[in-house]
Amino acid sequence: MNTRPLMTLQVSVAPPQNVGAVPHGARRIAPIGGGVFDGPRLRGTVLPGGSADWLLLRADGVLEMDLRVTLRTDDGALISMRSFGMRHGPPDVIAAIGRGEPVDPAAYYFRTTPRFQTAHSAYVFLNRLLAVASGDRRADGPIYTIHELL
Amino acid sequence: MLLRLDTSPTEDVGATPHGTLSIFPVIGGSFEGDRLRGKVRAGGGDWVSGRADNALELDLRVTLETDDGALIYMTLTGLRDDARQYFRTLPRFETASPKYAFLNRLLAVGIGEIRADGPVHIIEEIL
Repeated sequence: MNTRPLMTLQVSVAPPQNVGAVPHGARRIAPIGGGVFDGPRLRGTVLPGGSADWLLLRADGVLEMDLRVTLRTDDGALISMRSFGMRHGPPDVIAAIGRGEPVDPAAYYFRTTPRFQTAHSAYVFLNRLLAVASGDRRADGPIYTIHELL
Repeated sequence: MLLRLDTSPTEDVGATPHGTLSIFPVIGGSFEGDRLRGKVRAGGGDWVSGRADNALELDLRVTLETDDGALIYMTLTGLRDDARQYFRTLPRFETASPKYAFLNRLLAVGIGEIRADGPVHIIEEIL
């Protein structure tokens, strides 16, 4: 499948809200305090209100991610982005990420599938595409490299 | 893998608050890949919503049965826009079979195609 770069998205994560053991795993919610995105066709900032990642650690060790963020482009358009993702890897690598240590993103699986919604005419192309992303979990939040599926 | 679906006549629900809903019942099919192959069980379907911008949103659920008897629940969301021949999907899998548990831990992308004998999805794992 062919892809092309859409943007890089960097978000800052506030302290998580640990909901705890729920029927499908361990739920925690990581509020997004802000961020930036930059790509050939769009760039701007992440709005903090209503942006968070709803995380579910499954019994098989896979962390399911349900990220919802609102993006504001540099020309004022609002874009709602949602992405389902998965993160997993060797226990020592995941533990190092948990301690906020720098970890080579190639050492674990961190992939997401963003979808976009916007009403702004300059960005309606985002309504009509699917995308995939690779994540790199840094101490202050993930960096997503997002590619459009062509 | 390559997934072929056999569908029965479309159930046209019509205009709903979220678009024009058509349901494509899945009555069978087959799948074949390097690590899994088998048949599609009857009983699934694709809930397709036509949007105001003429793109179609897909919401497919099927049960796969491998040639060695494992059941795999597959869901797929997708976007089809015939105006520019864009038909891409995001499949996900759930299984209790240890042999196929790798499917629980991956995301995938697919290319859809409507052939004369039914829909076909070419599915690749995101590495």
